[in-house]
Amino acid sequence: MSIITSETPSDAELVRRARKGEEVAFGLLVRRYQRPAYAVALSVTNRHEDAEDAAQESFLVALDRLDECRSPERFGGWLMTIVRNRSKNLVRRESLRDMDELPPGTRSRIPTPDRTAEAAELRGMLRQALGELPEVQRQVVLLHDLEGWKHREIADRLDLPCGTVRSHLHFARKALRAALRKVPGIPDLMRVAQ
Amino acid sequence: MRRIHESDATVDSGRDPELAAALAVLDPASGDPNYWFRFGSWVLSGAARELSRRRLGARLTVGDVLESWARALVPTAALVAALAAMLLLRGDPVGEALPIGVEELLVSEIEGSTIPARISNVTFAAEGF
Repeated sequence: MSIITSETPSDAELVRRARKGEEVAFGLLVRRYQRPAYAVALSVTNRHEDAEDAAQESFLVALDRLDECRSPERFGGWLMTIVRNRSKNLVRRESLRDMDELPPGTRSRIPTPDRTAEAAELRGMLRQALGELPEVQRQVVLLHDLEGWKHREIADRLDLPCGTVRSHLHFARKALRAALRKVPGIPDLMRVAQ
Repeated sequence: MRRIHESDATVDSGRDPELAAALAVLDPASGDPNYWFRFGSWVLSGAARELSRRRLGARLTVGDVLESWARALVPTAALVAALAAMLLLRGDPVGEALPIGVEELLVSEIEGSTIPARISNVTFAAEGF
């Protein structure tokens, strides 16, 4: 899913307009990066509610600090850094509070309808498998296989060499495939997901 | 295994369909198509105050002022230049300049008495004592 086409305004243009308070421009930036921001936040927090909080707050922080974005054409990478830092802070705060695990959806600002039990089961398995991966591998595999970003886009926005992205993707996929193979009935669950 | 490694690590063959299908359950929009719309709306409502502050705080820079001047000035100057060119090309004499000497110019417009003549009619304050 390459979002930027020749017909859509560039990140640099949208950042310039958003700096002047243009809501439409900021809205386009949010729409362009909300999913990758959530994916990166999820790769750090591994919990929907925290990922949602971190991703949303990151956009507000980014707007507050928009004048500090020295390379507006690289807004995506700059935003992802904010998302990662906000997510890490959130995890640190949560661990300090030693909160009990809350049922999914109880803290989310955006209520989501109940989903099928099978999908919930698959989600739980995936989170467990993802939780065993290094953070950077989680980011790479989620941005590539969930968001559809290309190696080059991930490399640019996570500030990693392209070869490193490929390598992380390879190991993450291998680990996830192995984890999913261990679970009986996983092909059926994946059909449910499709 | 080697084949898988090569395909993952050297070329970008796009999403792995099997994994992509599994990972799709992590997308909050799976089963809730309006999720991202609400997500964006929440962010924009949180950003409204800062966006408003930025709109209000947007000040005119020197460049903006010069640019606005230039916008008005350039067409006006072009119009004036065009009018001047038209007048010159028409060759319509505005009025022939008459040759006039400097001395004539100095005296021709003076009417009435000269200063010394006027002074003779004045009683200075000092003479009253």
